[in-house]
Order: sequence, then structure tokens, then C-alpha cells
Amino acid sequence: MSHKSAVSGSREQFRRARWFSSWNNYLFVVPALIFMVVFIGFPLLYNLMLSFQNVNVYNLSGKHDFIGLSNYMKSLKDPVFYTALQNSAVFTVLSIFFQFTIGFALALFFNQKFPGRNLFRSLMLLAWMLPVVISGTIFQWMMSGDFGVINYFLQALGIIDQPINWLSEGSTALLSTVVANIWIGIPFNMIILLSGLQGLPEHLYEAAKLDGANRLVQFRHITLPLMRPTILVLMILGIINTFKVFDLIFIMTAGGPVTSSTVLPIYAYQLSFATLEFSQGASVSMIMFLILIVISIGYLRMSSKEEVH
Amino acid sequence: MANSRWRMGGSTFIGILIMIVFLFPVYWMVKTSITPVTELYHNPPHILPVGATFESYINNFVRNQDMVGYIGNSFIIAIGTMVLSLLLAIPAAYALARLPIKGKGLMMISVLSIQMLPGIMMAMPLYIMFSKVQLIDNFAGLIFADLIHSLPFAIITLRPFFLALPGGLEEAAMIDGCNKFSSFTKIILPLVMPGLMTVAVFCFLFGWGDFIFALTLTTSNSVRPLTLGLYRFIGQYGTEWNNLMAVATIAALPIIVIFISMQKYVVGGITAGSMKD
Repeated sequence: MSHKSAVSGSREQFRRARWFSSWNNYLFVVPALIFMVVFIGFPLLYNLMLSFQNVNVYNLSGKHDFIGLSNYMKSLKDPVFYTALQNSAVFTVLSIFFQFTIGFALALFFNQKFPGRNLFRSLMLLAWMLPVVISGTIFQWMMSGDFGVINYFLQALGIIDQPINWLSEGSTALLSTVVANIWIGIPFNMIILLSGLQGLPEHLYEAAKLDGANRLVQFRHITLPLMRPTILVLMILGIINTFKVFDLIFIMTAGGPVTSSTVLPIYAYQLSFATLEFSQGASVSMIMFLILIVISIGYLRMSSKEEVH
Repeated sequence: MANSRWRMGGSTFIGILIMIVFLFPVYWMVKTSITPVTELYHNPPHILPVGATFESYINNFVRNQDMVGYIGNSFIIAIGTMVLSLLLAIPAAYALARLPIKGKGLMMISVLSIQMLPGIMMAMPLYIMFSKVQLIDNFAGLIFADLIHSLPFAIITLRPFFLALPGGLEEAAMIDGCNKFSSFTKIILPLVMPGLMTVAVFCFLFGWGDFIFALTLTTSNSVRPLTLGLYRFIGQYGTEWNNLMAVATIAALPIIVIFISMQKYVVGGITAGSMKD
């Protein structure tokens, strides 16, 4: 009896092993893989190739010459490129700083127990879920110069005397898009930080309380160090997602007036779809991509150091 | 005890204030949409609705049917994006989580880094490629483009759900006479329903909210979604903000409905999709 079951057991194991490690496992990933190669990998390579050629709308169907790094050189000589780079940096840094600090403050607030907090917390997400085109249109209306409600509030509070044309003045256009983007990003930051906070061990805080540590000390010495990994991930995701924002700015100012709110994605769009200099546009988006890669590698190195500690 | 009750009441009060300030833009959209033209340019603006009317909804959705077409297109694109993302992502996420295949690490890294790609970077090569194969101004083309972001998201979000299932499920199914594919569809899939719901909701949102591909890969109104309709409307009607906000409210409506009915899946999706691995 025991002998027989041992034999059937090993046969069973053999069958199981074969069942698991056979070629048809790959059938599960092949459809997604084919899609990604055709619709992501190929366009990426095509974009790279375009950036070394001289393709525009006039010679699209003809033969194209390989012109090396000329497009890159041309982009790097264009003053608009540097304006866009600077605007992108300002947009990203300001957006992330305020999204994060306000989001963190709200996360700490909503981490308390009080009636209605779950409802409030999920209501805030609505702002994040709205299509960006809608949020952008709402802010465009609220920030309009003549009848915009933001001018009304600021005047009522005595902060400004005269209505300001927020979106059509060079000095305020970029900042106005930053304000809208902060509004969109706060709930995301809050939810991620809140889920991090809820994972922190309760007993550390109780021990700290016994030792007489006040809230501020607890925050600095328990919350912040333990939240470090969450904060790091959030920062890098924030940088990547903010750096590539296109819709919001396109809707609110279209990069204007002149180039005062032109960020890199808008600049790339204008080259590719307004002046139809495809190769030139491809070189700008490649530069943008390189910047994102550098940021991500920096992040990976930072987080792997984190794990060693 | 009484003290802590006061503090909780105070927190709720502050919470309500935060909500009022934070959600003001959404309120202002709805409020403007029911404001009559005569009230629209009232200075100072009334914060509460005065003489509310549904005129702008009737104008834009009953008298003029253009927007209705955009809404239909948005649904086709959003549902298409959702279905195709799920069809491709479910088996892939399952295999990446539970089957022994080669190159898993490489696939996960590629999927993660695809999320980093700027939309505009994909839009231009897609535009040229799609013009050569008649996918410009085509629902399929738009859905494929939207999948660039929704498919990696779906795979990354679903994988942890499959990983969390107990080991040995497949063996048990096999002993009961299932093959690899029937054990997957009959035993595994029903267990990850919450994950599927989350992913379905978000992929729908991606499709519904897309702007950049609608802007660059369409040339006529026959396939354009509501997001682009709204944008073109701004150009055409300039400052008729009550009409614009009526269109914006209708465009936001499915999102609000999904948001209210699927709340728990939404919160789960945000944390899962961004933090895992």
C-alpha cells in the first residue's frame, strides 16, 4: 500500500512539474507582449530614428537622410528650448513642493479618528479623478480676468486692488497653471501618505508618549524616518508625472502668452503638430525622455542605498 | 472623555471647512452651469445660485445634438480601453505572478518604465505610423493609444492580487480535472474580482479622460470624445461659461457616478497601482 502510493506520488509530482513548466505558460503573456512591442516598442524606436533624420510634413512620404545629431544641436541652440526647460523645472518643483506639503498636512489630519473622515477622504479624490480637461476648464473660468471668482475673492480679502488677467499675463500664466496642478495633485499625495501613515506601528507612539515626547518630537523622530520609503516613491512618481503634464497647460494657456508657460511637452507638441517639423519634435521628446531616465536612475540608486541601510 | 468628544467634533468641523474650500471648483462648475446668462456677468458674483435654470443643458444636449455624438464616442473609447486592457492584462499579470516563465524581471521593468513615457512622445510616432495604416480618426487607433498607459497600469495593479492568493490552488484544480486554462478562468479569476473591478474602473477613467491622443490622432468629429469636444467648444464659444460648464458637468457625470458607486475599489487602486514593487 505504502509502496504503491509512493509511486503514484512521484508520478503525481512529475505531472505537476510538467503542468507548471511547459511552453504554454507563455501563451498568457504573448498577447500583451505583442501589443507592447507593436504599439510601444516600435513607436519608440521610430521616434529615435526620426530624431536623427530630417523628416517634416513635406517630405514625409519621400526618402529621408540621416543627419546625425543636427536636430539635437538645433534644439539645444533654440532659446525657446531653454525657456521651456526652465518653465518645466519651475512647474515641477513648485507643484511637487505644495502638493506634497499640503497633502502631508491633510494626511496627518485625516489620520486622526473623527466622524466623517472616511467620507471627506474619498470626496477629496474626486478632484484627482476628474479628467484634466475638465479641471483645466474650471480653473480657466475661475481665473478669468473680468468675472473670475478668484479675482473676486482676492479683492474681497484685500489681497489685490485690481482684477488680474491671470492666464493672459506673462508674469502669472505659468503660476496659474501650477495652482491648478497643485489642486489636482493634493488628493493623490494625501492618499498615498495616509496609507503609509496607517501602516506605522502604533506601539512606537505609545512608548514615545510614555517617555514624554510631544507631537512634534514624535513626528520628527518616528513618523518622518519611518515614512522615508513612501516619501521617496511619492517624490519620484511626482517628478515623472509632473514633468510630462501636457493637457492642463495646453487647455489653460496653450503655453502662452508667447512662451511664458511653454513647458517641454508643449514645446515638443508645437514642433511636431503645429510647425510639423517631426524630426525636430522627436529630438525634443528624446531629450525629455533622457531627463526622465536620469531622474529615475537617480531614484533607483537612492532607494537601493535605502535598502542597504 | 467629554474633552475627546469636543476634539473629535472640532476635527469634523475643520474637515467640513477643508471640504468646502477644496471642492469649491467642482461646486463652481455645477453652479455656473445652472446660472442664467444675465446672472453670469453679475459683479460681484453670487456665490449661491440665483434664478437657476437648465437652459444651458437644453441648449447643448437637446437643441444642439453635437455633444451627444461626443458622449457616445467617449463611451466607445472608454469601454474599449477598459475591455482590451483587461483582456491583455489579466493573463499577463497572472503569468507574471504565478507561472514559471523566463524573463519575468525584464518584463516587469519594461512595464514599469513604460509608465514613465510622456504621452506627447508617443503621440508623434503614432501619428505618422497610424496615417500609413488608416488608423487616424479611428476608434481602434484611439483605443490602442490609450492602452499605452492603461495596459502597464493594469498589469502592475493586478499582479499583487494574484500573488496574494494561496499557493497550491492550481494543483488542487488540476487534481479536480481542470487544465491550466480552465483552472485560471474557473478558480483563479473569481478570487481576484476586487482587483478586476479596480482595474476596470481606472482603465475606463483613462479612456474617458484622454485628451492628448484625441487631440493628435483625430481629424473629424465622428470619433472625437467629449474631452476634445469641450476643448473645441472653448475655442468656438469663448466666454459663454454657463454653456461650457454644462458640458463640463456632463463630462464629469460618469466619473462622479463611478466614483460614488465604486469608492472602495478606487482608493485601493491608487495605492496598489503606485506603490507595489
